Amino acid sequence: YRDLHTFELQAPTRLIEWARGNRVCVAGYGQSDGNEILQLIPPPTLLTKETQGLCPERDFKVECGGFSERPVYSLKYVPDTSLLVTSGPPNSSLQVWQVSAEDSDVIKSVSTIATENGPGQSWAKIATISARVPWVLHGSRLDRVQITEVESRKHVYTAASRGSEELSNLAFLDCNTLLLCCATGRLCLADMRQPQSLMEAMSVPSTPCSEQWCMGTRHGAQGLEPSSQPVARLSSRGLLTLTDLRKTSEFLALAKARVPSPGSSAEFLCVSWAPALEGYLAISGLDGTVHVYDTQSWDSSGREAEPIFVHKGHAFGGAGGSRDPPLVTVHTWHLQKPRTLLSAASDGSLHIWDWVQPCGKC
Amino acid sequence: VLCCRAGAGQDVGRSCILVSIAGKNVMLDCGMHMGYNDDRRFPDFSYITQNGRLTDFLDCVIISHFHLDHCGALPYFSEMVGYDGPIYMTHPTKAICPILLEDYRKITVDKKGETNFFTSQMIKDCMKKVVAVHLHQTVQVDEELEIKAYYAGHVLGAAMFQIKVGCESVVYTGDYNMTPDRHLGAAWIDKCRPDLLISESTYATTIRDSKRCRERDFLKKVHETVERGGKVLIPVFALGRAQELCILLETFWERMNLKAPIYFSTGLTEKANHYYKLFITWTNQKIRKTFVQRNMFEFKHIKAFDRAFADNPGPMVVFATPGMLHAGQSLQIFRKWAGNEKNMVIMPGYCVQGTVGHKILSGQRKLEMEGRQILEVKMQVEYMSFSAHADAKGIMQLIRQAEPRNVLLVHGEAKKMEFLKQKIEQEF
Repeated sequence: YRDLHTFELQAPTRLIEWARGNRVCVAGYGQSDGNEILQLIPPPTLLTKETQGLCPERDFKVECGGFSERPVYSLKYVPDTSLLVTSGPPNSSLQVWQVSAEDSDVIKSVSTIATENGPGQSWAKIATISARVPWVLHGSRLDRVQITEVESRKHVYTAASRGSEELSNLAFLDCNTLLLCCATGRLCLADMRQPQSLMEAMSVPSTPCSEQWCMGTRHGAQGLEPSSQPVARLSSRGLLTLTDLRKTSEFLALAKARVPSPGSSAEFLCVSWAPALEGYLAISGLDGTVHVYDTQSWDSSGREAEPIFVHKGHAFGGAGGSRDPPLVTVHTWHLQKPRTLLSAASDGSLHIWDWVQPCGKC
Repeated sequence: VLCCRAGAGQDVGRSCILVSIAGKNVMLDCGMHMGYNDDRRFPDFSYITQNGRLTDFLDCVIISHFHLDHCGALPYFSEMVGYDGPIYMTHPTKAICPILLEDYRKITVDKKGETNFFTSQMIKDCMKKVVAVHLHQTVQVDEELEIKAYYAGHVLGAAMFQIKVGCESVVYTGDYNMTPDRHLGAAWIDKCRPDLLISESTYATTIRDSKRCRERDFLKKVHETVERGGKVLIPVFALGRAQELCILLETFWERMNLKAPIYFSTGLTEKANHYYKLFITWTNQKIRKTFVQRNMFEFKHIKAFDRAFADNPGPMVVFATPGMLHAGQSLQIFRKWAGNEKNMVIMPGYCVQGTVGHKILSGQRKLEMEGRQILEVKMQVEYMSFSAHADAKGIMQLIRQAEPRNVLLVHGEAKKMEFLKQKIEQEF
């Protein structure tokens, strides 16, 4: 490590979202009521370029907070607005909130975007964009994907249906293109200008045991075509596939992460690309660790990949003994500092860590 | 219950709160602001004195702990403004207060030549009015008013006080800490359900970095400096966090088998040790248990400091008082070592504005000393906050323990606290 800071939240979070001004948002998911949404100002140590070691303030400050009546499973800020959208059980409707840090430190509930709640529907996955008007892309299943205008709650678009599998995540590739990833691993591309078409990418390798999948897309690096960034898919058994969206009929790469007990819970599966390091990605949710990989050496053989770095802090942090070891619920990369990540676990811990690039093999 | 602050209650400089409960008037703490050199350092008592004599108006004064921002104005208040009623505090506080007050008086009057300040005799006379209390002991101030002290952690002897008149009660926390550290336990209170809980809220909106990380970084910096032959100055107040850091360094030196000397200001080492031994029941479980085999405060690697040592070549670590580099020995040593970039000064706590400590932490590297001399600061300046205050989680824990009907937050920043307010309201 170059640096490591550990914090303890009052309640565990399964999301870490970046907001304007380097703010970070976390939210509780455990209780049925009284879950807190917290917008935090990270310690100055994260804002400086070099690690200063002993900084005047090493703590997170709660800038504002809100109370959610339901567990918060997903949260997305709406760009160019002071709004954010959350989703969580028991159904697929969304909550819209207003963050106004100037005159009050309370995040207020503003409205609800209701959806058709049929049987077998869980919570909605969400993504936001501000094209002409702020939109939220949401849905819990492949046949229920829609786009709603955040402020007016007007329905704008419904994706063509090609099945009713549960979704893991979805994303806007640009203001016309959507990317949908199912829990089965199916990856679908939808172009809003051609409503009936839903293109599918190469399916993930099928295995006898059921496993669940999630995807990670690259945050649009400036000036690059969003569709030129490969999409990563991670399974609950540690399989990783990389797909170039311009050549969806094949895999760019296929690898296997070292997983202790395969097939464990897929609830917190998370894979993400490093915004400032070409070809690096991180995975978590398989156990109490976060792995960082350099995918540039990967091929399509599917053999086990060696991580560049493994963050084990969460696994050691717990009280130990009879309690279940904590599971990492989410991780995210710092947007500017190339090797800094934030990760959270089911025991309420929140870590910020900065790893050192290993030089050759030591 | 009526409450008001006879000092800048929003300022992290001094604490002094007046509470009126069922016709009884109690003053909570009587602190001094270290950043001012004039009358602004003392609370403004005219608010109360306009009602008549203080002794007639106030039923008692309660002091939570020996930090000067909580007791520093006490002699001024009792001897210069005039108060002859009872002053309550715990036994360790009563023992240690006069030492810190005298120390501060010496620096302010002798070194700085101030005149409008209390004298040594005044400190003695003031302490004669003090009634020491034990933890969990109900003290009858008069027929109707009773008080009870609870363990607060934070520093040796710090207490939270419950003030009761009939069926109305107030709990004042002073400064407290809900997590134990190396030499003190955690604060605790029973489900006393006061009408009002007055809690400090310095870190109410903070999620604190783990102690382990802070300690690790602190030790790393000290070690690195000493390894390259530099000197480390750690300005501290005699009692308080200094003991915590001493235990930390001693343990580290032992583990790493380090040879560089560690020194602690003369005079106060013995006294500090003496008090910690005397009040061993106020320390934490671990210290009490190991005390039989080994006195945690008798350090193998930490020796008494002599002024002459500052000129010795080679690496060393020195704990010197006072804490904000505003005067005395720590400032003297700082001036000697500031010009060498191999050296380091680590400020272990908050520095009030106006002090040299505050200036260098703000980035100033050219300081004007007395006689218009300019001091160039080439040594490394670091800050490590080891102060033991409750954070948001700790405040909620205390509220859950006490179950108050109302909560008043003091000693923090004057920011909007709507979210915390709602959070507390949600608890009940």
